[in-house]
Amino acid sequence: MRKLSRIWNYMSKPEVVPRLFAGFLCLVLFIEFFAPTSYNTHQLYPKDVPQAQVFKTPLAPYDRGGIPLKKAADIKTQYPQFEPIRGKITAYLTPISIWISEKTPYFGTSIVSTPGGILDEILYYTRGFDTVLESTTLLISFIIFSWIYLNRDEVE
Amino acid sequence: MFIDPITGNFYGYIPFGDIVFYLTDFSVIAFLVALFFTLVVYLTKPEKQLEAQINDFDKFNIVSLKELKIRRLMAIICGISTAFAMLTGDLFDYALFLAVIGISNIGIVSAVKKEWVLNAAYQYGIIAMISSLPLFGAAGLILAKTGTLSILELSKTAHDIFYQKIIYAVGMVGETGIAPFYAAKAEMFKAPGAPYILMIHLSSLLIIIRTAEILLSIH
Repeated sequence: MRKLSRIWNYMSKPEVVPRLFAGFLCLVLFIEFFAPTSYNTHQLYPKDVPQAQVFKTPLAPYDRGGIPLKKAADIKTQYPQFEPIRGKITAYLTPISIWISEKTPYFGTSIVSTPGGILDEILYYTRGFDTVLESTTLLISFIIFSWIYLNRDEVE
Repeated sequence: MFIDPITGNFYGYIPFGDIVFYLTDFSVIAFLVALFFTLVVYLTKPEKQLEAQINDFDKFNIVSLKELKIRRLMAIICGISTAFAMLTGDLFDYALFLAVIGISNIGIVSAVKKEWVLNAAYQYGIIAMISSLPLFGAAGLILAKTGTLSILELSKTAHDIFYQKIIYAVGMVGETGIAPFYAAKAEMFKAPGAPYILMIHLSSLLIIIRTAEILLSIH
């Protein structure tokens, strides 16, 4: 009984909790490693085989085809009835991105392809709410950090 | 209906592309509860905590206006994201809502100028960071195994995702800091400023119920 209460007392310290949780997580993931699993080939968000597009198109891993506003690209969605214009803008490139994509075969993996380069519709249209929440998490952490930093000299 | 036994009547969708929010008896009631308490947090003034001292006069712990503003903002963000986490019908979206709630929980206590509170918040932040691995990992494993993330689709037919659900639950345990990993959070509750601190508590209670509902719906 005394040993049990000693364990509770040990657990009540905040600095011990992450260690315990990490140990618990290791145990669960270790068991999980041996759990039977399989891969469903009918994926909702299909991806090309790695390296399949390299040197064939400058947009390498993200080339989904289509012409902006005219011909829709090949994009699968869970609820097509809610997304009438899917695939229409995913092939759009800004003038700068067109210029870069003519110069290099590695455009799709460069930083220019992401903001205003390739408009990935899985990020911005079919699963747009995820992107909103991701950037919200980042913004909140910046708010917290900057508040703590700006008020660091205030002591009670 | 396919989710009838747990969540009650099904009223309709709010579509955001592939991420569909759905309205059932359960989710609407939980949504309204979370929004009501967010309103309470917005309208009420913080408590004045009286701290008893040995060999000294008792002292008031007063929340200053500057501190109040940031903590109220964080509590409102926490409340709104809890409310919408009740409605969402997508596993990955739900995991992201949990991440927003986790970080705004840290934000609620981060403005308190007390060493032990900040220490506890730091430790809780470490747990929240670690637990994003099982949470998002389990969502990814479920996507790989079933090919979809929508809770409505997953609840229609049977999939063998028992182990993935266990990891998802472990991720939720870490992100909302439930027992027995509660110690860091209990220290945070002792900080002054009642309505804001209670938002942490309310959000984790609602999230635990909602996670149980999701894990029972998908199979």
